[in-house]
Order: sequence, then structure tokens, then C-alpha cells
Amino acid sequence: MSRDLDTIARLLGALPPPPEGWVEAAQELPRVRQALDSLLEQAEADAELRARLIADLEGALTEVGIAPTPRVVELVRRRLS
Amino acid sequence: MEGRPADRTDAELVARCRAGDGEAWNALVERFSRYVYAICVQGFRLQAHDAEDAFQDVFAKVYEQLGRLRDDDAFRPWLAQLTRRVCIDRLRAGRREAATVEDDLADSDDVLATLDEALTVRDGLAQLPGDCREILDRFFARDESYRSISDDLGLPPGTIASRISRCLEKLKAVLEDFAPAARPVGR
Repeated sequence: MSRDLDTIARLLGALPPPPEGWVEAAQELPRVRQALDSLLEQAEADAELRARLIADLEGALTEVGIAPTPRVVELVRRRLS
Repeated sequence: MEGRPADRTDAELVARCRAGDGEAWNALVERFSRYVYAICVQGFRLQAHDAEDAFQDVFAKVYEQLGRLRDDDAFRPWLAQLTRRVCIDRLRAGRREAATVEDDLADSDDVLATLDEALTVRDGLAQLPGDCREILDRFFARDESYRSISDDLGLPPGTIASRISRCLEKLKAVLEDFAPAARPVGR
């Protein structure tokens, strides 16, 4: 398909980068999921850890190196309930 | 399948992601982040907060559902459809009246067709030398001024203008005999 220069320029402008931090957050997803899976597996076998997660989820996540973003907190709450 | 993840085809990246290759995942997200973002904000006109949630939801679903993709070469249409569904769900969740959602969807097909074409142009951009890729991306996609680009690259603004023009001509030539499905794309 032949495109003129104006069309090519317009199409280049149609795909700006997402705001700062979005790509990095999506790239972190596998690491965060693995860390969460491991944490929740431990919590199933450890009543004290489970109680701590329920009482202070954000603190417990931070302790194990997972940033307690609203999305992560919601995901863990759903899986704990 | 050797070489940098960014040089691999979509299908090769998908296969590697499925095998748990973290670098391939990073490259896949990088390659398609602009496309997903553009569908959210241009195709479905999501506001910033909803767009960010939708963007992250899309990649979370890609991560969870990649195993269900039957044809790795069909990743792009699968991703476009997945993004479309996530955006529609988000629009519906935020509206009481179904009719207003349908209004928003009315011209989304045209926008999505344009974005598919834009992705093909980026495939062509990836074939250009690094200096052309950078200058065209900065000027057209990142909306940087001649002045800002010339300050960063240490070149006079007049040189920036002529280089943009020359690089656009090169891109046009690349696109004229381009077969995107056979090539690594979208950086």
C-alpha cells in the first residue's frame, strides 16, 4: 500500500508512548504474580501469616518486597476472601 | 531464535513468554504498549485513570491467557480483541445508560483500523537506522519541538528539519515494499 508523507507522519503521531511508569508496571507483572503466589501459598499453611495479611495487608506486602499498589491490594484481597 | 528479544517476530516472542522468558515478556510489553494505550484513549476515549486500569488489565490478561492463544502468528488481532473487550467492560462499568456506551463505540472501528495501520508504519520505522527511528519518534510520536530535539542531539534546528524530511522519505520507501508479518515489529 502506497502512503504519502503526510499520511505516514499522521500515522507516526497516532501511537505516542503511554505515560511514565505504565510500561514498567506491566513488565513487572510476572515477578509480582510469582511473589504473590508464593506469599499466598505460605499463608494457606500459616494461620499467623494469613491473619497478618488480613490485618495489615499493605505492610505485609511491603515486607516481602511487593509494592502495595491499589491493583495488587485488590487482587490479594480477592484471593484471600 | 538467537539475538535480542526486540528483534524477534511476534510469534517467537509469544512462544518465549509462554516458556517463562522474562526478557521476552519485557519486549512484548514494550512492542505493544503504544498500541494498547492508543486503543484505550483514542479508540474508546477512556479517561486517564480508566485508561491506566484498562492498560494494566490488558497485560494481566495477556499474561494469564497466553496459553490459550492457538496461533502465535495471530497475536496482534487477539490482543486487539482482548483490549477492545477490556475497554468496553470498563465503559459499561462506569455508565448507567447502555445507549451512551453504544454512542462511544460508534466510531471506534474506524479508529482501530487507523491504529492497525499506524502499527504497520511503526513496523517500518523499526527497519530504519537508529538515528532516523529516534528523530521521527521524537518529532511525530512524542511531539518534541525542533529546539528540544536539537538541544538533546547537539544539532542545529535546520539540520533537524532536513533530517526529519530525509528520514520520512526513507520510511516511505521501506513501507512501499514491506511485508510486516515476516518481520520483527513495533519498537
